[in-house]
Amino acid sequence: MTASAALATLRPNAPSHAKRNLAILVAAAIVSWAFLTVDVRLDRLIDLPRQLGRMFGFMFLPPDWSYVEIAAPAMVASIQMAWIGTLIGAILSLPLGFFGAKNISSGPVSNVVRVLLNAIRAFPEIVLAIVVFVPIAGLGPVGGALAIGVHSIGTLGKLTAEAIESVDRGPIEAVRATGARSLQVQRWGVLPQVLPEIIAFWLYRFEINLRAAAVLGIVGAGGIGAVLSNTLAYRRFDKAGMAIIVVVLATIAVDYISGTIRRRIIEGTGAKRIVGDDLEQPELAESPT
Amino acid sequence: MTSGAALSKLRPPAPKSSLIVPAGVLGALALTIWAASDQFGIGFDPIAILADIGRGSEILGEVFRPNFAFFPRTIQPMIETIQMAIIASTIGCAIALPAAFLASRVTAPGRLSLVATRSVLNVVRALPDLLYAMVFVVALSIGPLPGILALIFFNIGVAAKLLSETVDAVDRGPLEAASAAGAAHVEVVRTSVLPQVLPNYVAYSLYVFELNIRASTVIGIVGAGGIGNVLNEQIGFFNFSNVGLVILELFLLVFAIELVSIALRRRLT
Repeated sequence: MTASAALATLRPNAPSHAKRNLAILVAAAIVSWAFLTVDVRLDRLIDLPRQLGRMFGFMFLPPDWSYVEIAAPAMVASIQMAWIGTLIGAILSLPLGFFGAKNISSGPVSNVVRVLLNAIRAFPEIVLAIVVFVPIAGLGPVGGALAIGVHSIGTLGKLTAEAIESVDRGPIEAVRATGARSLQVQRWGVLPQVLPEIIAFWLYRFEINLRAAAVLGIVGAGGIGAVLSNTLAYRRFDKAGMAIIVVVLATIAVDYISGTIRRRIIEGTGAKRIVGDDLEQPELAESPT
Repeated sequence: MTSGAALSKLRPPAPKSSLIVPAGVLGALALTIWAASDQFGIGFDPIAILADIGRGSEILGEVFRPNFAFFPRTIQPMIETIQMAIIASTIGCAIALPAAFLASRVTAPGRLSLVATRSVLNVVRALPDLLYAMVFVVALSIGPLPGILALIFFNIGVAAKLLSETVDAVDRGPLEAASAAGAAHVEVVRTSVLPQVLPNYVAYSLYVFELNIRASTVIGIVGAGGIGNVLNEQIGFFNFSNVGLVILELFLLVFAIELVSIALRRRLT
């Protein structure tokens, strides 16, 4: 008895769970509110698995294999749309990234640029396509490419600015000490430090943009999206199924190629890592949308 | 001359020039010309676009004059959007948790389940949210239900990917300790992996919720409920000042949720 009492005094106090429990309670309340008040009829839920199974059967058991002749070229157009769009975003976001970086440009300028980038990010590609770029470029993939490009400026500019903010000051001072002017400092002191990371962002964005390009056809921007939209509208499910198979295969292939290049750029073939280099891991939760 | 020679001896050797960079630049250039060309690509003509750039100004002008009188009609759809996002992120992340454990080298019970789960997740992730929405709207008719389902699939892809990468990077010490204490595989995961990744998991769930609010604009365009429906309707009526209001509201909502979510995520990780 005395021994256990002595042990108890040695033991640290159990941490308080009050805050955690409160957070769980609040989260549970919010989630239950959503579930209980949403306008979904429960009787439809019972039928749901059967409905989805039927749809799956129509689409893939079997798909209309011959439709690949139409779906594959349309997917290529979507890939081209994504590539051109990413390029537009990359070219326009690079200078904006420099102006948005607090350590390179002045405080007010970088704040204005950051707000601008956030505002751009708020317009999804599809809204940009409907409201701005299909009227400008007409129906077809060019409008889609422009919409993708402009939307990409937001995320790419933000990531570029953040990459520039974390550069090493040393090279900048060294370049300045040789008498370089402002633009030369950016070119030789900053750009070589951030370029690999930025090119990796561009490729990553290309992977995301490919997904956008695959659906922009719904609003008249061509590519595989138009094919999907038409086949589903006319209930040609076996053709839609084939188009979906093409989308999945092409996307996985592009992801794989782009991912391999990204890893090669960031990690090099066998480049020696500087000690402490691996301490600064990019935060996953902040990964681009 | 001699001092110059001495200096050049001190200088480190220039790095070997590699063909990879010029090849990469050339490849990207070729890809661009191919993709932009009239014959093989999408026919991208910057000069024509610049000439036509004025055509968008009329609509854009209306978008930037939001019609605030439309606000009352956007409240209910806006609430529906938030409900859809909450439900979809809850269910999506709940499914993503076991999926992530099956898809990580550290916690997968066997090679087969690892490969199978990863393949399924890759396929799930390859399809865009809007495509899920289109398919579910055709299968289940319009309303929030197909939208919620579409978001769930989208969420499983994102959350399972992020979480399985986190699980890959956990400290192996506690795992060994738990196995040494005689824990079975599920118990090892439960007692030594789950506590390590739980803060990240909650953070990812919040991030996914954020993405859902953004995505709900888009999926509504194909009839999957929420504020996107209103957006689509008003675009159809050419009421672009109403469209402007909806975009403004979404911008503010996304901004507010992002602020709260980032603050919470900072505290978690």
